[in-house]
Amino acid sequence: MTIASEGAERSGRVATEPAIEVSGVSVRYRLPDDRIVSFKEFVLRRVTGGVHYRDLWALHDLDLVVEPGEVFGIVGRNGSGKSTLLKVVSRVLRPTEGRVVVRGRVAPMLELGAGFHPDLTGRENVFLNGMILGYARTEIERLFDEVIAFAGLREFASVPIRNYSSGMLARLGFSVATLKRPDILILDEVLAVGDTRFQAKCMERIAGFRAAGTSVLLVSHDLETVGRQCDRAAWIEDGRLGAVGATGDVLERYRRAMAERGRD
Amino acid sequence: MNSDPVRPIYDSELRPHPFVEEWLEIWRYRELVLMWAVRTIKIRYKRSVLGVLWTLIEPLMTMVILTVVFSSLFRFEVDGYPVYVLVGLTFFDFFRRGTTAMADEVLASQGLASKIHVPRSAFPVAAVVTYLINWLLALIPLAAIMIFLGRPFEMALVSLVPAIFVVCLFALGVGMLISTLAAFFPDVNLTYQVLLTAWMYATPIIYPITVVSEKHRHLLELNPLTHLLRLVRDPVYEGHVASPETWAIGTALGLVTLVAGWWTFTHWRDAFDYRV
Repeated sequence: MTIASEGAERSGRVATEPAIEVSGVSVRYRLPDDRIVSFKEFVLRRVTGGVHYRDLWALHDLDLVVEPGEVFGIVGRNGSGKSTLLKVVSRVLRPTEGRVVVRGRVAPMLELGAGFHPDLTGRENVFLNGMILGYARTEIERLFDEVIAFAGLREFASVPIRNYSSGMLARLGFSVATLKRPDILILDEVLAVGDTRFQAKCMERIAGFRAAGTSVLLVSHDLETVGRQCDRAAWIEDGRLGAVGATGDVLERYRRAMAERGRD
Repeated sequence: MNSDPVRPIYDSELRPHPFVEEWLEIWRYRELVLMWAVRTIKIRYKRSVLGVLWTLIEPLMTMVILTVVFSSLFRFEVDGYPVYVLVGLTFFDFFRRGTTAMADEVLASQGLASKIHVPRSAFPVAAVVTYLINWLLALIPLAAIMIFLGRPFEMALVSLVPAIFVVCLFALGVGMLISTLAAFFPDVNLTYQVLLTAWMYATPIIYPITVVSEKHRHLLELNPLTHLLRLVRDPVYEGHVASPETWAIGTALGLVTLVAGWWTFTHWRDAFDYRV
């Protein structure tokens, strides 16, 4: 990034640029034709010219734009490429072809509490998980009390988390993942964290983020939720874009296609 | 709760070469690397009564056993044999466990790395840091034994700092090579364990190099660990800094191996992600 563009960033002029731009993205997974388990076998086959791969394209030439502050839904059947798309956006996978531009800090909520270890205390786990999510130590220190308070675990901060209930773990995980407002929030399926009261708290926090300009990328099988929550949506079918646009239209076309498939 | 004044921008087309990118990323995540290393030590001893004391007891006990076995059975003419053998054992223990743990970490962190963006090398590098801490702790019982046997502490001991650093470079490089292979071929790690046993006996750790006939001694000189061990053992056991020649060979070995390992690891890193 050049200095000039950095300056433009600060003045906020580029805030109108899309939060996520996916242009012509394809992702290819390679499956070895038959399992080659040993190095010796690999070398032998290499020499005799016999290592074959089966290519599996999870995404084909996909284009997608998510604007800042938008809630964007993604629907599609299992194995349609939704998860691969999330991985490409959250930098876990680099596109085989095409280009992905993501402007802003991403909070991926694909897995809450990554790196949690049962023998460590709540406090130790907050620091580890926070650092895995890319927060600086000083940031975590500064916001630690807030994290613990939000999760409602003040009395349990110095207890090894193997004594936590699964609800407590999820609360702690969510609390760390959202300790700062991200520019882009990635949700795989709607959060079902803890009890109804805590779920309401989560929703409130996410609504607050949205009001402050966070974009949300939501993948879900629950079409009702997508219809209610999302400004726009995309339907992905076999790694290609089936439809994109206003949520109502996209869901309508997706439902119709599914119904037709059911009739065949 | 304000977001960063400057929003980070990720552009998949503006990524530097993987070799460079991985360096930049590991530097950005350096706090995680250090914390993960400490975490591993904490976890290992969390449920034991003696706790971290085990890192001191373990090498001490091994040393006692080996000293008794080798000084009574083989009768090597080595003055202050306990010190001689303990320097070598702690050195090799670091190398063996550090490189093995790197390969294990690459596989263990696979699930996490497919969900959250973390530099792939973060956990392997943390593994080396873990065993570096272990090694440094093991120097405490070593110092105690030196006092007990009345061995002198020379100024040359200061050269241990760069010596250990060079050994770390080499271990990182070897670990990177092994973990790249292990990521694709599950049986590499098992083969490596066998190789390590042979490697230990091919290094003058428990025996002095003089027990090898002059005709075959040059074979030991082909072993990188022979030179690296000298860097560490000379200041502690001989009381002088290793020769300039040893330093030149050792440093070159460390740097070349690290670059080779890092290149291999980063070159294959993305291919690994695409495997299902």
